[in-house]
Amino acid sequence: MDQLTQPAKLSEAEILPVLKQFITEVIGEEFVEDLDITAASSFTKDLEMDSIEIVAFSEKVKNHFGKDIDFTGWLSNMDLDQIISLNLGDITKYIQSCL
Amino acid sequence: MPVVDLPHTRIHLQEMNKGAAETVLMVHGMFTNLSIWYFNIAPILAERYHVVLYDLKGHGMSGRSQHGYDLQSMSDELLALMDALQLTSVYLAGYSYGGLIALKTAIRHPEKIKKLAVIESPNPYEQETMNVVDVYSKELLVHFVNGQGDHSPAKMGKRQLERRHRLYEFLLKESTIRQDMQQERHFFSNGGIKDIPHETLLIYGKDSDCVSAGLELQEKIKDARLLFVNGDHNIPVQEPFTIGNALKDFFYTQE
Repeated sequence: MDQLTQPAKLSEAEILPVLKQFITEVIGEEFVEDLDITAASSFTKDLEMDSIEIVAFSEKVKNHFGKDIDFTGWLSNMDLDQIISLNLGDITKYIQSCL
Repeated sequence: MPVVDLPHTRIHLQEMNKGAAETVLMVHGMFTNLSIWYFNIAPILAERYHVVLYDLKGHGMSGRSQHGYDLQSMSDELLALMDALQLTSVYLAGYSYGGLIALKTAIRHPEKIKKLAVIESPNPYEQETMNVVDVYSKELLVHFVNGQGDHSPAKMGKRQLERRHRLYEFLLKESTIRQDMQQERHFFSNGGIKDIPHETLLIYGKDSDCVSAGLELQEKIKDARLLFVNGDHNIPVQEPFTIGNALKDFFYTQE
């Protein structure tokens, strides 16, 4: 799932399943089965991800969507509390804003 | 996930701005991981430098190890990582126990370090402080996990609770980390630190239990400057932008 994809060709409905797949890869399929992952799901409150898992997730986003999306740069403008309360909808919107 | 296979362990690392001419290598503390740098501090440094972050063995996404958490072994790990990445010399920054690893490496191989930054490293002789540092580190993890602005323990999800529990069970009960840290209690007085030739920046929290260690290091290291920032032992989380910019300015060498 880490191959480069042109974000310009993707809609919100197409991005979300990719993000879900990354979360599955990071936290494990057995835990994802119990979760209802939607655009409103936040990293920590809903998905129970800790900071090192968010690092792994970020890396997958960067590898998949490519250098046009400065995902780490976007996160670096937020403090940690903001980062861990981000939800998947926020991330989808950011990726789309880079189109 | 980028990893490097070292002789005894698989090490997880993250790199930023890989093409830059000079490298900053960052070492986290015990019971935390590279994420303490990743989100705010490292991107500031990556505006100018190639930044390398890695998870110490037994931590984050690196491999587990039952032995070798003493400063010599951890310094060996750091040097092996530098060799694997073909880094001949770096700007080196360490937080808490990671700062002690950085000091140890600077003593053993001064030629591999350009400048040294030590953040909130305790004096290992003060075992009480070391214990406080442990508690802080655990709170820090809780803080990360729960996204709490204050440091009050808050409820954690079952999966995270189990993850944390497994990590502490392993490190504190199945590994030699406690004994290895204890055997370093004379590190500040054993000599070596006073011979560190590097320009050194010491960054401590005004309200930290480790302030006396910062003052002692300032006295021992010939070319050291002590910077106090608002906060306690958790300053990388409390003041990441202040620390990132202080490190960036400090490492910058006018040609």
